[in-house]
Amino acid sequence: MAISKKISTADELNHIRDEVKSRAAARNSKDNNQILVCIGGGCLASGSLKVKEALEQALEKRQLQDKIAVIGTGCLGPCAAGPVVLVGKDDVFYEQVAPEDAEEIVEKHIVGGAIVERLSRKNTITGKPAVTLDDISFFKRQVKIVLRNCGRINPASIEDYIGVEGYQGLAKVLASLSPDQVIEEMKKSGLRGRGGAGFPTWMKWSFARKSPGSTKYILCNADEGDPGAFMDRSILEGDPHSVIEGMIIGAYAIGASQGYVYVRAEYPLAVKRLQQAIDDAKKYGLLGANILGSKFLFDLEIRMGSGAFVCGEETALMASIEGKRGEPRPRPPFPAVKGLWGKPTVLNNVETFANVPIIIQKGGAWLASFGTEKSKGTKVFALAGAINNAGLVEVPVGTTLGELIYDIGGGIPKGKEFKAAQIGGPSGGCIPREHLNVPLDYESLNELGAIMGSGGLVVMDEDSCMVDVARFFLEFVQEESCGKCVPCRVGTKRMLEIINRICEGKGKMADIDTLIELGQQIKDTALCGLGQTAPNPVLSTIRYFRNEYEEHINEKHCRAGVCPGLVTAPCRSGCPANVNVPGFISLVAEKRYAEALRLHRNRNPFAAICGRVCFHICESKCRRATLDEPVAVRGIKRFMADQEVTIQLPEVRENAENAKRKIAVIGAGPAGLSCAYFLARLGYRPKVFEAEQRPGGMLVQTIPSYRLPREIVAREIRMIEGIGVDIETGKKLGKDFTISGLRDQGYEAVFIGVGSPCGVRMDIPGSNAEGITDAINFLKSYNIRGSVHVGKKVVVIGGGNAAIDAARTAVRLGAESVTIVYRRAQEDMPAYLEEIGEALQEGVVINALTNPDEIIVANGKVAGVKCHVMKPGNFDRSGRRRPEKSGKHFTIEADQVIFAIGQTLDTSDLFRHDELQPVSGYRIMSDPLTGQTSIPWVFAGGDVATGPMSVIHAVAGGERAAVGIDEYIHGHKHAFWRNDYPVDTSFDINADPAPFPRKKMELLLVDRRRNNFNEIEIAWVEGEAIKQAKRCLRCDYGRVLTNVY
Amino acid sequence: MRQTKCCECREHVSEKEMLDRLDEILAGHKNTEGNLIPVLQTAQNMFGYLSKPVLKKISLKLNKPYSEVAGIVSFYSFFSTVPRGKYLIRVCLGTACYVRGGKGILEAMKKELGIEVGQTTPDRLFSLDIGRCFGACGMAPVIMVNDTVHQRVKAIKIDEILNLYRNRKSDSEKEQV
Repeated sequence: MAISKKISTADELNHIRDEVKSRAAARNSKDNNQILVCIGGGCLASGSLKVKEALEQALEKRQLQDKIAVIGTGCLGPCAAGPVVLVGKDDVFYEQVAPEDAEEIVEKHIVGGAIVERLSRKNTITGKPAVTLDDISFFKRQVKIVLRNCGRINPASIEDYIGVEGYQGLAKVLASLSPDQVIEEMKKSGLRGRGGAGFPTWMKWSFARKSPGSTKYILCNADEGDPGAFMDRSILEGDPHSVIEGMIIGAYAIGASQGYVYVRAEYPLAVKRLQQAIDDAKKYGLLGANILGSKFLFDLEIRMGSGAFVCGEETALMASIEGKRGEPRPRPPFPAVKGLWGKPTVLNNVETFANVPIIIQKGGAWLASFGTEKSKGTKVFALAGAINNAGLVEVPVGTTLGELIYDIGGGIPKGKEFKAAQIGGPSGGCIPREHLNVPLDYESLNELGAIMGSGGLVVMDEDSCMVDVARFFLEFVQEESCGKCVPCRVGTKRMLEIINRICEGKGKMADIDTLIELGQQIKDTALCGLGQTAPNPVLSTIRYFRNEYEEHINEKHCRAGVCPGLVTAPCRSGCPANVNVPGFISLVAEKRYAEALRLHRNRNPFAAICGRVCFHICESKCRRATLDEPVAVRGIKRFMADQEVTIQLPEVRENAENAKRKIAVIGAGPAGLSCAYFLARLGYRPKVFEAEQRPGGMLVQTIPSYRLPREIVAREIRMIEGIGVDIETGKKLGKDFTISGLRDQGYEAVFIGVGSPCGVRMDIPGSNAEGITDAINFLKSYNIRGSVHVGKKVVVIGGGNAAIDAARTAVRLGAESVTIVYRRAQEDMPAYLEEIGEALQEGVVINALTNPDEIIVANGKVAGVKCHVMKPGNFDRSGRRRPEKSGKHFTIEADQVIFAIGQTLDTSDLFRHDELQPVSGYRIMSDPLTGQTSIPWVFAGGDVATGPMSVIHAVAGGERAAVGIDEYIHGHKHAFWRNDYPVDTSFDINADPAPFPRKKMELLLVDRRRNNFNEIEIAWVEGEAIKQAKRCLRCDYGRVLTNVY
Repeated sequence: MRQTKCCECREHVSEKEMLDRLDEILAGHKNTEGNLIPVLQTAQNMFGYLSKPVLKKISLKLNKPYSEVAGIVSFYSFFSTVPRGKYLIRVCLGTACYVRGGKGILEAMKKELGIEVGQTTPDRLFSLDIGRCFGACGMAPVIMVNDTVHQRVKAIKIDEILNLYRNRKSDSEKEQV
């Protein structure tokens, strides 16, 4: 029953509290008699009010409405999983609840006492339902201080707040603390401003208290403008009284009798709930004159923003409350001396105020027990963007970014790679993956060029272009700049112009330095915080992602497929070789296979090969994935190449002069062959030298024939020979010839594409025993020489594709057991996911988080591997967790150990007799755009230049070097294939996307494939391939670019 | 006299009556400090936009120069001096929505409505604007139609959302008939 009269003593407050508590205790004496439904902003938009209604109806139907309370609460946190519901005193958590689920929840859970597992969150690893809040890592790792009541009480009921010790802090202050003692308690707590700058709250209060004058103001900044931040909104909507109580205490401490909450107009629900809370507080005598029977008087009003971001700046906010244009003014005088209407004023953020009541209640020292040495307490973060568990989280200050993103946030959706976290909004910066271990506190973030800011944390995956992100924030600041000072008004505009130019592909290298210089000047000279921090997003992206800026400028390439001026379709931007993916797919859809192949081979000669082994970056960029699943590009490619009866030759421009020029290509792998192919199309007649007896490089030496049948490789190599490339096998650089020798023979240019053909072994005890080999050697022996020794019990060490290839080859050659040992977690294995699955089907055992300590040797031969069980530790520069020793060991019996831990190149051998050595370490350093090395007539590409990469990267490297060689010889480029030609397939822009689902390629059954080397993938029939091709959304429609790299 | 609809109470009232109501509101605010912006917010909510006569009246009654009033109106993006549609569609281009494809939604919306940002459809049903974060980042990309947030919007589903409002229009007209 509501008490309508004013509370005029602490005893009356306690009386209400006890009454509410006993009511709740009565409800909780038995299980399952309270249902909390989140009606925070997120769940509300997902339809939680309807869920609440349905639950109420379901209870009424069973006449349970008096026994079981359905309470609408503020934000519980996991917004992306909304609407969410908590049932019973054990906090059983249900997510994505629909109104139709209400009957089942009431019938099964409330009446029957059983959990509705269907609606429980599933543990991502075990797949088992995580039933209560304590079972779910999203909640388990949080510490809720500010959000203590959010999702727990009805925000519209002041009595509910009183029932959870609400206004007790205020009562304590009024009964027993002087203003100075309040400030002293705040000092002990170490609380710093949560609006972003982190200024100690007690100090601000103390300044204002000491300022002379009888009229003072206390303001709450709820103009939460940073895009990506929604914690203030959630607090105001979920627990408005905590903010009001904090403000009253603050007012008491500084001696203010009037306060304002400045809320942005974009938050109508927050305004509504706050207004109701203020009205209730007045009704209960907690605002107004004689609060709780004391002489203290304080009034509170709401002022609504009118859509100006700059009003989040304190002096601008005050100008706006005064009814003026929200323009900042120079400080000093600081607001604590001269603020609103010229009077001493304290302005704190919503989250800061929400901390105050509990600090007073539990003592400053209690809050100071959380956090780091310099930053105490907790911080609320709004997790958003490319993250599984988007929502509101609260963690102790100093929690690492990696913990927040992976342990609480659940990682990146769709298995994509984490690229950066944007923290602090337009004033903040981007933190790249090598800093995943940064503790989230004020100082550490500043060091990295970001700021804590209000706590908006937007996660970006590989699909975000960092130049575009910087452009986005600059555009934002440009639009929101109030225009008062020149550095911000004009400076950011100049920066935006430059960055727009870069995004359109018209940038110059000098632009990067100009941006840094301009940015620094704006930081130093702008009037207010908005201007001073405006360059941060640009400066921090240049700091960590300079290579992306350079790609935009030099290569006119946007790797994320975002910048419209540089991108036809994201799949195409994702392809290192820039194959016109939507083009050939649309031709396949019209059964024009020969034209499709021709288009493909315009940028990549190996259509049939890539149709089988390419790891299809294009598919991970496909926009169709936002609808259902990506277009099956590789499958379509495979089908297209299979339709080729007579081999299609590409466009070749005969050139008698070029034909006379002597050009050597060393290595007949994908890089060398692709370089030769593109040279031949310009009319050259390059000569290819190959060390092994058969051309193809890794395509034939290590990739097993069950993935790539040899006749497929041979056919495409014949096509390359057919346009004028001469391949000589059995010629090894450093043994049969030298680079200097080639020059003496009259070769004008040399391309080195020798790959990285040497396996690596681990330096652990026993690693030289008999029965130990490396994957490259093992695969090469079988693939080239036709036989290899295989043990009965084979252990493969490593997690890449070579490890999987070696393991599956060993299975096929009759090994009884094959075990892969990998030091990190299984999901961190670099091998292709499909192939890991196929290997498991074929009986390969994977021991992840296992590190070999020692090879056990008996009688000079391998007898086993002593392994150390690892556990995931901190994040390393690759964004994966570094494995740490757990102290537990076990042994795997083995008679053969295959190391598959990497590939390298032994350069000393290659250049032994050369006076010219274009080498640095294990790679040949070369210009990534042209392949040119330190010796002008020597070029390099593929693994030898980049380190071990994929086939498609090697093709791209070969093409670039071919263009580079041509330019070296003639002084300018003739690469006609780089100019796009339009594809005349029909496309109805208004039609709905084709409704067909993505289809997997079928595989041979396990027992029909595990004892032979037959190709395991089964191609589609024509009807299926065409259906798959029609799924393409044609992002490229109407866009033709020229001179694309 | 032309009948207009008061946006706040959804009643049909004449413009004169509305201006009279404005007078009452102005009288209530006359002596409070910092009154200009709250008054403008109320007027904008009543009329849907701030016409010159309205601004002049506010300037006179609050005894503030017209230039000051106009200066405030042009500074804050919430205020509009041109009529807006019945439904204001704001496509969020906040960071989270941007990362999740908000730009594509905006393009699709422009195409669907046939108007640019800041414009209103000829039938005065929809106005299009961009938003800078509604704090619904967990459900990005979002759009806001008046005060209702639509979450996880997909470009190809825009039609469905708009039809909700198009149909609502005909329903309410039926009721009035």
